[in-house]
Amino acid sequence: MTARDRILSAIRATLGPGKPPAQIAAEAAALLDDPDAARPRLAAPGLPDAFAQKAAALGTSIDRIGSMAEVPRAMARYLDAHGLPPRFAMQPAPELAALDWSGLAPHPGTAPDEPAALGLALHGIAESGSLVIHSGPDNPILMAFLPLHHVVLLREATLLPHLEDYAARLSAEAAPRNAILITGPSGTTDIEGSYVRGAHGPGFLHVILIAEPG
Amino acid sequence: MTAPFKAPFKNRARAALADPVLKIAIDRTTGNAERKRAAALAAFPEFETARARGRAIKDHVIAHLGHYLELFERNATARGAQVHWAADDAEARAIVTRICLAADAKLVTRAKSMLGEEIGLPHALADAGIERVETDLAEHIIQLAGEAPSHIIWPAMHRTREQVAELFKAGHQPPPAAEDPATMVQSARRVLREKFLSADIGISGANFLVADTGATCTVTNEGNAELTTTPPRIHIVTAGIEKLVPSTAHAFALLRLLVRSATGGEMTQYTTFHAGPRRPGDADGPEEMHIVLVDNGRSRMLADEFREMLRCIRCGACMNHCVVYRQIGGHAYGGTYPGPMGAVLTPVLDGLAASRDLPNACTMNGRCAEVCPVGIPLPTLLRAWRRRSWREGLEPGSLRAGIGIWAQVARRPRLYRLATRIGLPLMRLFGKGGWIARLPLAGGWTDHRDLPRPAARSFMDQYRAQQKARK
Ligand code: SF4
Repeated sequence: MTARDRILSAIRATLGPGKPPAQIAAEAAALLDDPDAARPRLAAPGLPDAFAQKAAALGTSIDRIGSMAEVPRAMARYLDAHGLPPRFAMQPAPELAALDWSGLAPHPGTAPDEPAALGLALHGIAESGSLVIHSGPDNPILMAFLPLHHVVLLREATLLPHLEDYAARLSAEAAPRNAILITGPSGTTDIEGSYVRGAHGPGFLHVILIAEPG
Repeated sequence: MTAPFKAPFKNRARAALADPVLKIAIDRTTGNAERKRAAALAAFPEFETARARGRAIKDHVIAHLGHYLELFERNATARGAQVHWAADDAEARAIVTRICLAADAKLVTRAKSMLGEEIGLPHALADAGIERVETDLAEHIIQLAGEAPSHIIWPAMHRTREQVAELFKAGHQPPPAAEDPATMVQSARRVLREKFLSADIGISGANFLVADTGATCTVTNEGNAELTTTPPRIHIVTAGIEKLVPSTAHAFALLRLLVRSATGGEMTQYTTFHAGPRRPGDADGPEEMHIVLVDNGRSRMLADEFREMLRCIRCGACMNHCVVYRQIGGHAYGGTYPGPMGAVLTPVLDGLAASRDLPNACTMNGRCAEVCPVGIPLPTLLRAWRRRSWREGLEPGSLRAGIGIWAQVARRPRLYRLATRIGLPLMRLFGKGGWIARLPLAGGWTDHRDLPRPAARSFMDQYRAQQKARK
C-alpha cells in the first residue's frame, strides 16, 4: 500500500464514506454567509480613502495623481526626494513602456541590490491596504522583492473593498503561478520583538494612486 | 522527529528558571505580543464572530479531510505541481532528500516552517551533505547559534539583542557595524541575499493548502518566502494534512484570525499563493514544484480525543499567554512545539512516555483556551493526556499516591468541602507572590510547578455565602 492509500484509508476508517462533493461545497460556501459580520469595516467611506488610510498606517507612502500621463513626473519626484539615481528597474508592461520617460532611465531586469523598481498592481484591497500582483510574462516576481524602494502604480478603478472580493476573482482558471498580496514594506520583529523595516524585501513601499480609470 | 529529551523536564525547567537573561528575553517578546494582540482585537469588534467562523471552517475541513486532500491533489497536479504523501516524519525526510539528491543540489534555502522542524528536515539535509541556509531572520539567528526554535512565531525569542549581536559578530563577514536591531537586520539582509540567488532548491512550508485552486499559501513579514521560492530551479513545500481550506476566501477568513492572534497586525506583509511551477512565458519562478503532504500522527488524532487539536493554525497566542511558558521559555519543553499547544502535540509526536511531564506542567488557568482563535479547549486536551498517562501507569509512585488520596476525598462531596476548607488556609500560607510553591498532599505535583494561589474562600463557600445574603 502506498503512503497515500494508507493515509486516506486511515481517514476514511474514521470519518466514514463521506457526503457527495456538491453537498460539501454547499456547506463550505454557507460558512462564509454574511461576510460583514466577521470582517473589519472599511477605514473610510470611499475605497480610495479607505485604502490610502490603511496603507499609510502600515508605513506605505502614498502619492495621489490624476492620470497615467503624470506617472513619470511622480516617479521623478519620489526618486529625487529619496536621493535616488534616475536609473530604476521597471516592470516590462506595455502600458508603462508607452509613457514618456525622458529625463529618467528605466531598465528591465532587477539587480540583486537594485535601489528602486516601478511596477503595476492588479488590484488594491481597501480593507487591509494591500496591493495585489500576479506573476506572468510581463511581471517578474523578484522585482517586488530585490529593490530597496518598491514603487507601485495602482488605479482607483481596480480597488476592491474586501479580501473576499479579490478571492472571488482568483478563480481556479485565473490563478497565476504566484498571486501575492503586499501589505506594507518588509519588516521583522525577530530581535526582541522590536520592529525593523527592510528585512529581506523592500524597506520602502510607495504607492502612486491614479484617479483616472483605465 | 524524535525530540532529544536529554534531561528530565523538571531539570530543564529548573535550568530555565535559573537563567535571568532568558527571563528578560521572554518577557520582552511575549509582553509585546500580548499588548499588540489586545489592541488588534479592540479594533476588530467582529473578532468573536470571526473566531466562531474560523472554528467552523476548520471543523468542516476536518470532517471532510479525505475529500479535500484528494481535491487539492487533483488541482495542484493540474497546475503542474508534483504531490507526494508521507505517512510519517521518516517518509517525509526521505522524499525531500531524494528530490534534493536527484537534482544534485548543493545549496538549499529554507523559509521557516514548523512542519519542517517537526519532521527533522534540518538534520536530514545535513546528513545528505547539503548546505542549508535558513532565511527567516529568527531562524538565521538560531542556525548561527546551533539551536532549535523556542517559539513558533519568534523562534529566536530566547535571545536578547546583545546575544544576537555576539552571534552576528562571529557569523557575518564583515560583522555588523553596530548592535542596534536595525543595523543587525541590514547585516543579515546582505549576508543572505547572496544565498537566495545561488540556491539550487528552495523549501517552504504552507500556512494553507487551498483545495479549489491547488495553491499553497505562505505568509511572512520579511519577504524571505518569495526570495526562497522564486530563484531556485526547484521549490519544495512540506505541509501537514490539516492545513487544507476549501477556497481562497476561507484562507482569508482564517488569516484575519491568525495575524491578529500571532503578532497583533491585521495582515502579514506578504501573503503569497503558489500554484505550480513556472508557466510558459513566465518571467521567473521554479521549473519544478513538489508538495509533500505529511500525516505524522494527524490521522491518528482525527480518530481519538485530540481531534480538536487539528484546528490549530499555529498562531502562538496560547504560549504568549501561558504562565508556564513565560517562566521557562520554549526549549524546556523539549519537543518541536512548545507552550500549551506543544504540550498537547508533543505526546502525539514523541510518545506519551517521553513527554508525560508536559501535560502535567499545566496550571489549568485556562488563558490559552481563552485566547485561542479557533477555540481549542487546550486544558481539556491536556487533562485527557493526564488521564491517559495515569491509565497507562506512567505516573511515578509519589504522584499517584498523593492524587489518589485527593481523588478519594473529591469523590465524597462533604469530605471534599471539608478538606478544601482546611486545605485552603494552608495553601495560602505556602503561597508566595500569588503562586503556590508547594502544595501539601500533592507534593510531587507542585515541586516543579506553581499553582495559582486560591481565593481566601473556596468557590463553594463564596457561592453559599452569596446565596445566603440574597435570602
Ligand atoms: S492552539 Fe490555538 S492559540 Fe495555540 S497556536 Fe494553535 S491556534 Fe494558536
